[in-house]
Amino acid sequence: MHIPDAFIPIWQGAIYWIIALVFIAISLKWAKNEMSEEKLPMVAVLAAGIFALQSFNLPVSMGTSGHLVGGALAAIVLGSPLAAIFIMTLVLIVQGVLFGDGGITVMGANIINMGVIGGFVGFYSFRGLMVAIRNMPVAAFTAAWLACLIPALACAVEMYFAGTFPLMEGLVAMGIYHAIIGFIEGFVTVAAIYLIISVRPDLIDTGIKTPKGIAAP
Amino acid sequence: MIDNKTFLIGGLVLALLIGGIAVFLASGDPDGLESTALVVQGQKELTGGTPADAEIHEETVDRFAYESPMPDYSLGEQMGPLGGVIAIVAGTTIAFILVFGAACGIRILRKTGKTNQ
Repeated sequence: MHIPDAFIPIWQGAIYWIIALVFIAISLKWAKNEMSEEKLPMVAVLAAGIFALQSFNLPVSMGTSGHLVGGALAAIVLGSPLAAIFIMTLVLIVQGVLFGDGGITVMGANIINMGVIGGFVGFYSFRGLMVAIRNMPVAAFTAAWLACLIPALACAVEMYFAGTFPLMEGLVAMGIYHAIIGFIEGFVTVAAIYLIISVRPDLIDTGIKTPKGIAAP
Repeated sequence: MIDNKTFLIGGLVLALLIGGIAVFLASGDPDGLESTALVVQGQKELTGGTPADAEIHEETVDRFAYESPMPDYSLGEQMGPLGGVIAIVAGTTIAFILVFGAACGIRILRKTGKTNQ
């Protein structure tokens, strides 16, 4: 769902950039406070992995393809939605500047959708589901699915403001396509979490071992 | 358990492998946003396939235009899949170094900030 420059007027892109910069500043504060010796390799590997997986478009029927976005994965693994903003911002800069995947003036909107909304939706739905059902794969899958669908709907609304899509038609099409693409998001996110747990369980901060607020009597 | 260095290098190698395979196996169908654009522009049915000649009409008035050095993760037609692999390897490595560098830089800034206090 990388928005190209042609889809949003420059002045609206500027507004999204301003909002995005606020969140980027908060994510830099997270990085400053939380970037421990353990998190450093995880942050770098997630950036490389998310970049590579984003190039892997899988067909989802209806003449459409989709790929992992990665906001939920980064937020769940690193234990903060701000981590997702930090990583996704830098990945989106590389994609936009070097490969024309996502525009420049619209990059703020892409950061808001995939980094901010994807990160917050992914993180809080994961934590909420962990408390409710205490089942990691189901919680991660559902959180990742939502972290694909909700940003796509936000994107449809932005396209409506830009005059690019009609509101209902855009919401319906974006919703249908990303409800299916969300399965890729879910499967890859769960697989990546298991892979990381199998090699470095200590690096992952999913709250699995200590579900806060439940264990303590 | 593997150490941090092995995790870093192993993770990067795995990412490069995934990206390299993607050049050959990834679907060329439009993504969800592009498909939606084709639907609202009347070039594609919502649940139907994408016609081969479908093309997104792009607005140019009041829109920024930018020519990236490696558009569509490719080095041009004549380079073919090799160009695609080079582009993906470059992109994955740059993303890795950029994020690793930024994270290290922030850590160094924090340390110097503490010693100054």
